Amino acid sequence: MPGMWTLETVQKVEAVDHDVWVQVLRLMVLARKVDEQVIRLCRQGRIRGSSFTGIGQEAISTAVAVASEPDDLFAPCIRNLALHLGRGETPLGIMRQVLARPDGATAGRDGNIHHGRLENGVYAMISHLGAMISVVAGGVMAKRRHGKTSVGVAFVGDGTSSTGDFHEAMNFAAVFKVPVLVIIENNHYAYSTPNSRQFACRHLVDRAVGYGIKGVSADGNNAAEMYVTVRDIMADIRVNPRPVLLEAETMRMRGHGEHDDFKYASEELLLLYRRRDPIKLALRAMKAARLMDDNAFAAMEAEIETEVSAAAKQALAESEPSPDTLDQGVYADA
Amino acid sequence: MREITYLQGIHEGLQHVLEHDPETVLFGQDVGAFGGAFKLTEGLQARFGEDRVFDTPICESAMLGCAIGMATQGMRPIVEMQFADFITTALHQLLNNAGTRHYRTGNAVPIVVRAPSGGGSGGGPFHSEELETFFCHMPGVKVVYPAFPSDARAALVAAVADPNPVVYMENKTCYRSIKEQVDDGVAPLPLGKAKVRRRGVDATVIAYGAMVHEALRAAVDLQASDGYEVMVVDLRTLKPYDLDTILAATAATGRVLVVSEGWKTCGFAAEISAAITETGFHLLDAPVQRLTAPDVPVPFAATLEARYRPGAADIAAALRQLIEF
Repeated sequence: MPGMWTLETVQKVEAVDHDVWVQVLRLMVLARKVDEQVIRLCRQGRIRGSSFTGIGQEAISTAVAVASEPDDLFAPCIRNLALHLGRGETPLGIMRQVLARPDGATAGRDGNIHHGRLENGVYAMISHLGAMISVVAGGVMAKRRHGKTSVGVAFVGDGTSSTGDFHEAMNFAAVFKVPVLVIIENNHYAYSTPNSRQFACRHLVDRAVGYGIKGVSADGNNAAEMYVTVRDIMADIRVNPRPVLLEAETMRMRGHGEHDDFKYASEELLLLYRRRDPIKLALRAMKAARLMDDNAFAAMEAEIETEVSAAAKQALAESEPSPDTLDQGVYADA
Repeated sequence: MREITYLQGIHEGLQHVLEHDPETVLFGQDVGAFGGAFKLTEGLQARFGEDRVFDTPICESAMLGCAIGMATQGMRPIVEMQFADFITTALHQLLNNAGTRHYRTGNAVPIVVRAPSGGGSGGGPFHSEELETFFCHMPGVKVVYPAFPSDARAALVAAVADPNPVVYMENKTCYRSIKEQVDDGVAPLPLGKAKVRRRGVDATVIAYGAMVHEALRAAVDLQASDGYEVMVVDLRTLKPYDLDTILAATAATGRVLVVSEGWKTCGFAAEISAAITETGFHLLDAPVQRLTAPDVPVPFAATLEARYRPGAADIAAALRQLIEF
């Protein structure tokens, strides 16, 4: 029955430390609330251009962030707000980024989700999908040369899997046995293009065979399954360095960006995935396992909402960058 | 002092940085045990190990992406593109990923991309291209283009030391034909500084790469045939280029010919010509002239390529016309 957690996944929930589950739930809720705040600001016309959120896909980034170690490296894509937040970016940092404030991660030089702080191990993406997989691979190669046990995680979508960069980087990582987990978040649409126009293989994870690497599938809306899956893969490749391809099936619950009417979305998929919201599923399972109750969850939500709205208020009160800074920092000082 | 070729200059530059900076690595296609398509990297893997000098699959984009990842974690990767022509399959990594990163995030990307460039030896359309204009157009990217062995060595050291993405253009026809007496002291070339290779009063040639040598030959020939004294400026760094030296050389002769083996329309010669006209119009006694390759794919046949690529005789003819304007 879709939308229900099986006995097996509830057992997985119970097998993991209570604190970890609260961390997972809290990070998903935080990402959701920050995304919702971004949408409000966008609708109010306070954000230039469009806004891109990860609503409905929070379990995937959350699982990775919670399972990660300090020296790990990440190449998030546009549906991975939870990864940024889980690696140390703050709601205030996100508000400054989307509002193009000087103290945001890109100081107004880049918009919406194209950010990342290297001190958190997070690379700022570029819009050319697939280009960041090899970057995180190179970063991990460097970390390992420096004696760290880092692993990398690159997030891509079903659309990215069609690009040449995806192929080059997967093959490169396989040849050099770089410990990088490449997660394809198959959310069924690349902008408006459905899976049927994106690829002709049965499952995207099947491509792992062609690279000579391990491929794994997981339910991207099931936080328990995602967490246990990525935790085990990351632990494994940390000691047995090699890339792994993970296809996480999920669904984008809004348009590509807030400008998108989303008319192309299949009603059937939307219905199914509304019932499979990752936060609702996690909450239900945690309640069943007596790891969370309604009062505690309401308190968690209220605390997060207060933080997020304070962040938005503060960032709104700040100015945009001075135009005099336009040509500063194109080059690093020699 | 001892004589080395241009190719040896690059090799010695690589050897120098690999020896002095443990964060440097050199990778690309066939650069390891094989020693590279031009045998330029021969012996480096044996000396520094497979960890420092290694072969990659054919994946220009992943190579550059990997370099960006390494560079942002404290390493100094040097990527060899077997032929500059092949960078086109990875331009987004250079333009968008490496070039924008410091501006967007404050993270420096010290990578060096070696680009064996230029025609003249029958490489045909895909092994002869001269693409400096592409790279110079990219914010956040620097471009060097040495013409002499000592500069080749020093420019490699400087490119590796620079905290930005640097495209290191090296001319294939110079590899074994250009020789110079050098000593063993290696100092980094100051980036952004041109060098006057020959003094003159009648006209100035501004050139880079292999065209410096064609210009020097033309200057010798013109002096012998017509008695003209031609100044030759070797740009050495294309971005940032040395406008001060360019303007001083313009002031010295009042007549400037910019020579490039790249394509004409929107080419690098057009940039130099425009910069002189914008800031040094009052110094000119004649319009700035360009001598470049025509807007034609690099042809294979010797007869066609000889017409395509500017040579000493073409430069001498253009100079004579300019001086007699």
